Amino acid sequence: MGTITALGLLLLICMVAVGGTQGLQAWISLLFNFGALFFAMVLMAFHFSPVLVTLVTGIIVLAMTIFLGGNDSNSTMVAFYASVAVLILLVILIIPIEHWAQIQGFGQEDSEDLEGMSTILGISYLNVAISTAILSTLGAIAEAAIAIAAGLAEILEQHPKITLKNLQAAGFKVGSQIIGTTFNTLFFGFFGGFLALFIWFAGVHYSLGEILNDKILVGEVLMVLFSMMSVIATIPLTTWAMVASERQARKKV
Amino acid sequence: MIIGAKQTHSLWQRWWPYLVVILGALLVFGVAHDDQLYQTPILKIQSVKQISSDKQSDQFNNEDRQVEQELDGVITNGNDKGKKLKIENTYLKSQATTLGYHRGQKVFLTVHHNRNRISATISNLKRDTALAFTVWLTVSLLLVLMRFSGLMALTSVIVNGVLFWLAVSWNTHTQGGIVLAIFGGLAIVFAALTLLIVIGFNRQMLMTLLATIGGTAIAIIVALAVFALTHERGVYYESMQYVTQLPRPLFLAETILGSLGAVMDESTDIIASLMALKTEKPDISAKQIFKSGRQIGGEIMGPLVNVLFFIFVAETLPLALLFLKNANSWGYTFNMTMSLGVVQSLISGIGIVLTIPLACGITSLMIGGHKSWGRLQH
Repeated sequence: MGTITALGLLLLICMVAVGGTQGLQAWISLLFNFGALFFAMVLMAFHFSPVLVTLVTGIIVLAMTIFLGGNDSNSTMVAFYASVAVLILLVILIIPIEHWAQIQGFGQEDSEDLEGMSTILGISYLNVAISTAILSTLGAIAEAAIAIAAGLAEILEQHPKITLKNLQAAGFKVGSQIIGTTFNTLFFGFFGGFLALFIWFAGVHYSLGEILNDKILVGEVLMVLFSMMSVIATIPLTTWAMVASERQARKKV
Repeated sequence: MIIGAKQTHSLWQRWWPYLVVILGALLVFGVAHDDQLYQTPILKIQSVKQISSDKQSDQFNNEDRQVEQELDGVITNGNDKGKKLKIENTYLKSQATTLGYHRGQKVFLTVHHNRNRISATISNLKRDTALAFTVWLTVSLLLVLMRFSGLMALTSVIVNGVLFWLAVSWNTHTQGGIVLAIFGGLAIVFAALTLLIVIGFNRQMLMTLLATIGGTAIAIIVALAVFALTHERGVYYESMQYVTQLPRPLFLAETILGSLGAVMDESTDIIASLMALKTEKPDISAKQIFKSGRQIGGEIMGPLVNVLFFIFVAETLPLALLFLKNANSWGYTFNMTMSLGVVQSLISGIGIVLTIPLACGITSLMIGGHKSWGRLQH
């Protein structure tokens, strides 16, 4: 058995043992997300527009992650709408910044990987860079939206008569509780993955100026920042969506 | 007097994030005009003329356009400041390894002095302003929307960033020989410092720290056991990027750091909720605490594993596309570009899941029931 298969099966066993049906759902959503990512890549290789493919993939991935993750149907619906709104805002922000910073493709540090490869590709790597940045934030958006919506749903359950103004304040309070640890999840997730690159910089004695203008590093830091911004934006947007949905629900009664 | 002081106090409390925003904007403006700080000559591109655009193709039937452009600009720093220069630049439209430039951009030059004439080639694009702008935008959003908790989150990220860089330098000094020891040890320091900043020093923080370190350690031990049992079949260390030292320990160090944040995130959530539950219902039993913790953990583990999965695997997309366009099979492309990211996600996932019983166990032992350790100590 290959290592990936063994680790995957072990993860399934652990998830089911700890979370039961929910664990099984979590494992399926992970498998599905891998499939979606791989399928998106193949579509891009067949010259479908990378940004369009990413947007469609992104919405599907958010739906799968959120609906397979949450329990309460009302709060998961709100989380989904809010996360799609964040995704669209993020795309509007990422496109101009990536055009500005031009971090697409490969840097001089990649030359070993590129040896013997043809770089006549016919795919706009600027668009691929935009897609990569969007895809890398999807997990963070989904997680933050679920956390805020679930937190607010619990507050609503315990205090059904809470005023809408207090509900909004509660949303920001839940947000302030998750932001510190979520930032560290993102920081370590990204910087852990690029440890080798930093060791390279230190080993070759890059100057500060070279590091701050380096294609790969700037691209990487931009991805961390996009993820952080998406988490920050998710807090008010999910809260407002929850308040709006509660206002609707109260009007009907 | 006292009223006056109170008013300035509340005024300060209300407006400090905006002050930081304005100061930050000035700083970004400064970075846009920092050419003098660089020793490398910088050229500001004033006009761009396209000379030619030809179709190119390779043996895999990929088609691209090769564009030649002539850039006119002026040097903005150093001895040659003010000199006008014409540079030719050739790039492929896909821009995977070469770049096309636009009017108004600044580029770094390698200047060749040839008698009295100077000629130059472009070495890199100046990206510091775009970077500074995005940092500023993130910090501004964070402070204006989240205020004090935002400031704390920012502080912990900055502290961790500095520590991270120190550890990297230390690793370089030791030629990478003890990379696992450095980053394993630093993971503990990272966790302790971050939790101190986010929670403060108390029993809850110590419990969270214990769960975080335990969870990350279990993930690595389980991974090593699986590696040994499967003889690391399908783990292609040679596909690791930017490797300048032994890849296997480096990969494990990357995995430790990568999972640390998520495991910490999760233990913080579980233990904080359980502490709140204990305050609400002081006579709750250890068994009930464990059960509620498992429920909370079960809800957050799926999304959290996906956060890391997208971080680890999405960034392999550009290289994977390059492999596919070079007529490699899907399987080979996966092995050479994505497989290590997937292995990392799976190891982190196992860590995230196993942290749940660990965090619940620690909490129920410390605060639950009559025969708990917490009670015995009092």
